[in-house]
Amino acid sequence: MRAEALKGHLDGLLLAALERGPLHGYGVIEALRAGSGGTFDLPTGTVYPALHRLERAGLIRSAWSDGPGRRRRSYQLTPAGVTALADQRDGWRVFSRSVSALLDAGPWPTPA
Amino acid sequence: MADAGLTGPVLSPAARQVLATWLDQVGAALGGPARLRARIVAELDDGVRSAAEQHLATGVDPLDAARAAVAEFGDPDTVAASFHGELTAHLARRSGTALVGSGPLVGIVWLAALVPPLWPPRPAELLGAHPLYLAVLAVAVPAALVAITLTGPLGHRLAHHPAHAARAATLAATACVVGDALLLTTFAHTAVATPTALSWPAAPLAVAVSATRLVLAFRAARRCSGGSPIRVAAPR
Repeated sequence: MRAEALKGHLDGLLLAALERGPLHGYGVIEALRAGSGGTFDLPTGTVYPALHRLERAGLIRSAWSDGPGRRRRSYQLTPAGVTALADQRDGWRVFSRSVSALLDAGPWPTPA
Repeated sequence: MADAGLTGPVLSPAARQVLATWLDQVGAALGGPARLRARIVAELDDGVRSAAEQHLATGVDPLDAARAAVAEFGDPDTVAASFHGELTAHLARRSGTALVGSGPLVGIVWLAALVPPLWPPRPAELLGAHPLYLAVLAVAVPAALVAITLTGPLGHRLAHHPAHAARAATLAATACVVGDALLLTTFAHTAVATPTALSWPAAPLAVAVSATRLVLAFRAARRCSGGSPIRVAAPR
């Protein structure tokens, strides 16, 4: 699925990916790919800047850890991020119920 | 803090060179402050290495794993361009914060540069005597605060594009350039006409502070307006 199809839902997906614990950027990409059965294979240029944006918004925070010859930046939810994720879930449930009700209702106008 | 997840399978020198070349290309295409570029490159370094290690774990040889990783991460110019918004937001926020933070310092040193009868200083009276500077403050302070606000949590909720914050930061920085130029001009005039109205050595300190901020504000205005562009190279 193309990244632009996720417009408006990307933040929620990223927050959900971090719900179980801290992940680095590539770890988030992997979590979304695995969690969606391969449907969401988001490019680097979508995920990394979005993570930076969410950190700037105070919904996640990052910390650096060191390894041999490299450094890892891992992200985790903040309390504000937990709240935002709950709001995203509520909003999605209403949205998806409404869309499903319309798309599953058959052709319109309904035949007599 | 050491992270056990950072010790993956060893890539060959040729594979590491593929990753290093890709990272160099991304780094060269990124603009913005050097420290921020270094952090982005360090983060992508870990990411692309993780991707290569994943491919290696499927049984491909190290060189193919590295090539698959950089292909997965994408064209370096495209990846660099994707950070443009965040680099813009960072510049705008940093500029706005610096301008708001430097305001009281500039005010204090200029008040200290004035001898009695304006000591103890009466800022309201001083500003009333310099209405142009009051106008500058009326533009600079709100614009800087807007830049800071739009790049924080409220800006995210309002879904503001970083370009709006950059415009506010440009306006604030430009107003500070004008304000500092006014202060320096006033100093020069006073130093010639009524040198006893100035306090030494506070006056030279005030001149140095304003001159420094003028230069830094000018640079910030250029960067935030795109005049000193966040470079995004043309597609190869």
